[in-house]
Amino acid sequence: MRNRMNLVGGLFGAGFGFVLAAARLHEYDTIHETLKLESPYVFGLMGLAIGISLPLLWILERRQVATVYGGRLALSRSKIERHHIVGGVLFGAGWSIAGTCPAPALAMLSSGATYGAVAVVGLFVGLWLRDRQVAAGTGGASIGDGEHRDLRTTPAGSA
Amino acid sequence: MNILPDQLPFWIAGPLLGLLVVGLFVVANQPLGASGAYMQTMKAVRRDTDTVGWRVWYFGGIFVGGALATILGPGIEIRRGYDSMTAAGWSPTFIALVVLAGAIVMGYGARMAGGCTSGHGICGTAQRSPASWATTATFMATAVAVTGVLTLLTGGDL
Repeated sequence: MRNRMNLVGGLFGAGFGFVLAAARLHEYDTIHETLKLESPYVFGLMGLAIGISLPLLWILERRQVATVYGGRLALSRSKIERHHIVGGVLFGAGWSIAGTCPAPALAMLSSGATYGAVAVVGLFVGLWLRDRQVAAGTGGASIGDGEHRDLRTTPAGSA
Repeated sequence: MNILPDQLPFWIAGPLLGLLVVGLFVVANQPLGASGAYMQTMKAVRRDTDTVGWRVWYFGGIFVGGALATILGPGIEIRRGYDSMTAAGWSPTFIALVVLAGAIVMGYGARMAGGCTSGHGICGTAQRSPASWATTATFMATAVAVTGVLTLLTGGDL
């Protein structure tokens, strides 16, 4: 089971990285031109990704399908908190300046662009800085509905 | 190898990404986020006992998948990247500092908001999460505004 999950993780990660690089989302210009409102590319890509997955997940949720390894499908819907907004402002500023985001930065590096390493290291440093504050109780963080969740502590349908 | 086109049209890449999102939910009941995978990889390096190992494989997978698409496309070429910044007359050191600073702010914000472009921007919105829609609208609007300021500050070079 654990080994199979590692394989599943590796394969989905690879599919994700493959699509990002094939879409050239790991190139500064792709993101920069969209944020300059000169190209609809990234907005179109994200919009269609949501447009496909939102209705499908809705249907699967209503049918209460059983997932292969994670029990019954449970979507998560948190309320808006202050840290979502403040964090979103910081993330958006960094996204604009670095012209990449966490997954594309990895694909940038593996495409041979050495500055991808700078972005990856910076991301780790930023995540670590906030994580340290959260652990020390000097800073807060909000729940991310789209990030890894611990299914043992998150009861199904807790949204 | 130039088997892949220079850039997949967004109306192919977007739905593919959407299907991957649905696929990971159907298989593992988990979202296709990225910043959470960074966190798990950091935990693995720290040897935390509660590390989710498969997320580290997933993190590595993104790297490998990106390389595969590049091999099937233009081919892997060692270069710096950020050509537009070079064209704007910035030195390699300055570009590295700008990218580093941007990435640190991005990581800090992602940890605070609980996600990034894939986590909140696609997986959270697809789950119809109010928090993810709000975070996504916030970072999109901020990024467009900051990019506008960058373009102004650089006199249109960026």
